[in-house]
Amino acid sequence: MKNQLKFRFVFLLFLGVFFITPRLQNLHAQEVKKNKVRLKADYFKIMNGESYLNLKATSKIEKKNTEVPNIDFTIYNIFDDEKITIGTAITDMDGKSKFIINSLSKLKPDSTGTFNLSVVFKGNDAFKKASKDISFKDAVIEAELITKDSLNYINAKLIDKSIDSVIVNESLGIQVERLFKSLRIGEEFNYTDENGTVLVPIKESIPGVDGNLIFEVILKDHDEFGTVKALVNAPIGVPIVTETTFDKRTLWSPRNKTPLFILVFANLLILGMWGIIVYLMVNLFKIKNA
Amino acid sequence: MNTHKKIISDLAPKKFGKRDTIWTISLIVIIIIGLIAYIDQLIKGQEVTNMRDYALWGIYISNFVFFVATSFVGSVTVAILRLTNNSWRTPLVRIAEIISVAAIIMAGITIMIDMARPDRLLNLFIHARLQSPITWDVVIIPSYIVISLLLLYFPLIPDLAILKEYFKKKKPTMSKWYGKLSLNWTGSKAQKAIQTKSIQILAIMIIPVGILLQTIDAWLFSTTYRIGWDSTNFAPYFISGAFVAGVGALVTLIYVVRKAKKLEHYITDFHFDKLGKLLVLACLIYLYFNINEYVIPLFTAKKGELTHLETLFTGSYSVIFWLVTIVGLILPIIALLFKKGRKPLPMFFIGLIVVIGSWWKRFVIVTPTLLHPFLPIQGVPESWHHYFPSLHEWLITIATLAMALLIITICVRYLPVVPIQRTIDELELNNLDKNTEL
Amino acid sequence: MEDKNKNSRRKFLDKGLKIGLATAIGSIGISKLTSKLNAKTNSSSNEKMELMTTDGTLIQVDSSEVMEMEHPKNPEYNVREGMPNRKMVMVVDLAKCKNALKCQSACNKHHYITGDNAWLKVYKMQEAEDTAPYWLPMMCQHCDHPACVTVCPVDATFKRKDGLVLIDNERCIGCRFCMAACPYSTRVFNWGEPGQEVTLNMDMTDHTPSPEHAGMPSVKGTVDKCDFCPHQIQNNELPHCVTACPNGVFYFGDKYEDTVTNGDETLRLGKLLEDKSGYRLMEGLGTAPSVYYLPPVDRLVDFEDGLEDFKEFESVEKPE
Repeated sequence: MKNQLKFRFVFLLFLGVFFITPRLQNLHAQEVKKNKVRLKADYFKIMNGESYLNLKATSKIEKKNTEVPNIDFTIYNIFDDEKITIGTAITDMDGKSKFIINSLSKLKPDSTGTFNLSVVFKGNDAFKKASKDISFKDAVIEAELITKDSLNYINAKLIDKSIDSVIVNESLGIQVERLFKSLRIGEEFNYTDENGTVLVPIKESIPGVDGNLIFEVILKDHDEFGTVKALVNAPIGVPIVTETTFDKRTLWSPRNKTPLFILVFANLLILGMWGIIVYLMVNLFKIKNA
Repeated sequence: MNTHKKIISDLAPKKFGKRDTIWTISLIVIIIIGLIAYIDQLIKGQEVTNMRDYALWGIYISNFVFFVATSFVGSVTVAILRLTNNSWRTPLVRIAEIISVAAIIMAGITIMIDMARPDRLLNLFIHARLQSPITWDVVIIPSYIVISLLLLYFPLIPDLAILKEYFKKKKPTMSKWYGKLSLNWTGSKAQKAIQTKSIQILAIMIIPVGILLQTIDAWLFSTTYRIGWDSTNFAPYFISGAFVAGVGALVTLIYVVRKAKKLEHYITDFHFDKLGKLLVLACLIYLYFNINEYVIPLFTAKKGELTHLETLFTGSYSVIFWLVTIVGLILPIIALLFKKGRKPLPMFFIGLIVVIGSWWKRFVIVTPTLLHPFLPIQGVPESWHHYFPSLHEWLITIATLAMALLIITICVRYLPVVPIQRTIDELELNNLDKNTEL
Repeated sequence: MEDKNKNSRRKFLDKGLKIGLATAIGSIGISKLTSKLNAKTNSSSNEKMELMTTDGTLIQVDSSEVMEMEHPKNPEYNVREGMPNRKMVMVVDLAKCKNALKCQSACNKHHYITGDNAWLKVYKMQEAEDTAPYWLPMMCQHCDHPACVTVCPVDATFKRKDGLVLIDNERCIGCRFCMAACPYSTRVFNWGEPGQEVTLNMDMTDHTPSPEHAGMPSVKGTVDKCDFCPHQIQNNELPHCVTACPNGVFYFGDKYEDTVTNGDETLRLGKLLEDKSGYRLMEGLGTAPSVYYLPPVDRLVDFEDGLEDFKEFESVEKPE
């Protein structure tokens, strides 16, 4: 009898704990409600340049999507259920962070040749932990400038490095590098043929400093390969002619470039007036000494 | 010789009476109040004024223009009348030059009050750009100050020598000061030659410099795109306006000084009559330029010009505009065309009206234009659509006017307002003529 | 006797616990304080570094004052000369503007504007009774023949090679002649203290004031205006108004490159102006502005949609 009672008592106690602790947890949670962070990760590769992940952290604060600064990430390479730390990153004022992948050869791909990375945010006082997986394969663009029959073309080949074969029927974009965003040249979609190549004519005359242009061949936001960009230096631009009046003598120039007419006329007037004034003051002394 | 002595004792500076002391102390009080208001402006910034981004120039600038205009009287009376051989100017020239000096010095001070960063004043010299009309102003105003001071001083030297002798017994310290400033004047041939030549040079020089001063003042406005300012007419319009303001101020102050110093014998009805004719000439020329400025644009009635003219004729500035034009300009013209209007007392009132009208006329020139820019006034508080000076602006402006009057008062106290030596010389010349006639 | 002992034992334990707790908390507090103090006085070495300020003068700075920070690209050009081989232009598409005023709030925010007059204003325009009304975003036009620069007596405002007209608010004497000269009424004046302490202080650390970031800080008694955001251009980023506009109204770019972008579309400038008949404001005045406007033809939004956001007497939102 006693044992049964004890049993029941313990059982009730057990249930009680079960019911109370969540409520306690709730109370605790209500005091510090953490926001959820939404992570975005994109893979970028620039041929003969850097490969990097563009990371962005946003959160819905008061129903508005706002960028979140100071979110610190740890980036892992996932291989064979193993998490290998490859680096850290922290978001800036605009909630963005750029994580440069120093060398792809240091990462381990899986059997399909896909690199699996995981960006993990361990959470902080204001935000809950979050993570985002990103997978990509290594693609390569070989691009060059070709001149055929005095016409200029960009010739580009798209190759899947993991299987070392060309990629067919994917769209590459050709653009020329400009100050802010690149300017698209030719069609919006240029599909690679059976050899994985595209040949895009450059029909328009494009201005550039000293006639130098940098063309970009870009595979944009591909599911498997991310964004891959190849740069082609092409001195086929129209040299720009600056039209600034900065070095000329104008009414709006700084004082060291006053128009000559004003310079001469004003100084003559000043010298004339003050020359006479000085002469008159000398006369005053003359009167005194006479 | 007796007449000489009488002339000297009549024209010598006298001690301040009770009235004069009250006058001077009131001026000083007004100036101190203005100074306090200015210090407040320095501390808080120009937000203590009612100027804002649209009405960006207010009575500080119109007051400045007024002072520059009034300072033209020196060029007119001392120089132009001299070069046109108007000998009746003799008793008037000293006061005219004193007014000129006071006005141009105050112009220099007033413009610094409008600068929001007076601590960076030296930038106007170190980093000056000759392309800017303000730099031209920075050049011409100090030049005109110095030339005016010289034009006041050179003819004053013989009088200072006379006063040194006159005060030797009664006021030895004052006599010593007069002596120092009289530069050992003995009236010798050599000294007279230098003095005469210098005055001749100054008289010729001050006319183009004076005209240049008024012109540059006008160019501060007409080198902008603003409607109401962008007028090819502006420089001559300002020159004639200065002529009016200067002579008006002269007339008013001559009457006051004459009465205070009992100089009725030296400044007679004849002088007032002549001054009256000069003033009416000035006003007629000014009226001519006003018609060019305010009536002719009605012909093409371009939208911008029409808005400006409507503001002045029927809009928010119409009361001031019509008061200034009719009471300040046309009424004086009519009154002065009659001999009775050119008697001393009426002349005083006419002069006063002309001066007050001149001050408000410049207000009408500066602010209304700023309140109808090319693009509509939007996105700023409603109060920014209007402008009326704040208490600070009034206190400071009135203080500058008081300071000008104070400078004149001090000059009149210590300097002979009618040139003594010149009066004696002319009397002798007249006697000689009379003798030879006989 | 036993009770007394019990009580005294209890009291002893009580006191002991209290003292122990107090000591524990106290020591934690003191350690935190000392660590903060130590952080401030890390290395007061007497080593000096020679640095160059943005206007080319050399200054000596204590090494301990210099911290490694991520700087935006330091300008390799003279601030008064500007970026070589560039000429910045802006194109405003009036057919797309519906007075959303996002451009204005972004500009106000990023330049810490505290006055009553914004640097970027959207005007409600209608030339004549019969002609169509439209919204006109208006900012400094960075004219090629700038009236404001011509009249400045002290070289405080200047025109650069890259087309920008900027203000050196350390040189400005506050005469406001530039404001009188500007026909577009685009300059504002700091009549009193700008009162930026609250918004600006945090962001001023490691920032050297420069004409290239107007408003950081604004100075009492000087002029301010739109600067075409050279602090953004240095980082190959578009001015704030361009990115903030939800309707893609503003295009910005280098005229020599003949390319402008609104963040989404990137177009050839010459073609854009030709296709959409671009024009400049008050062309007849001869100011040669750097801002082109595309007339409100084939409007994408109705003019009336903008009326609800129109505030005739306000352009800078004040904190409550």
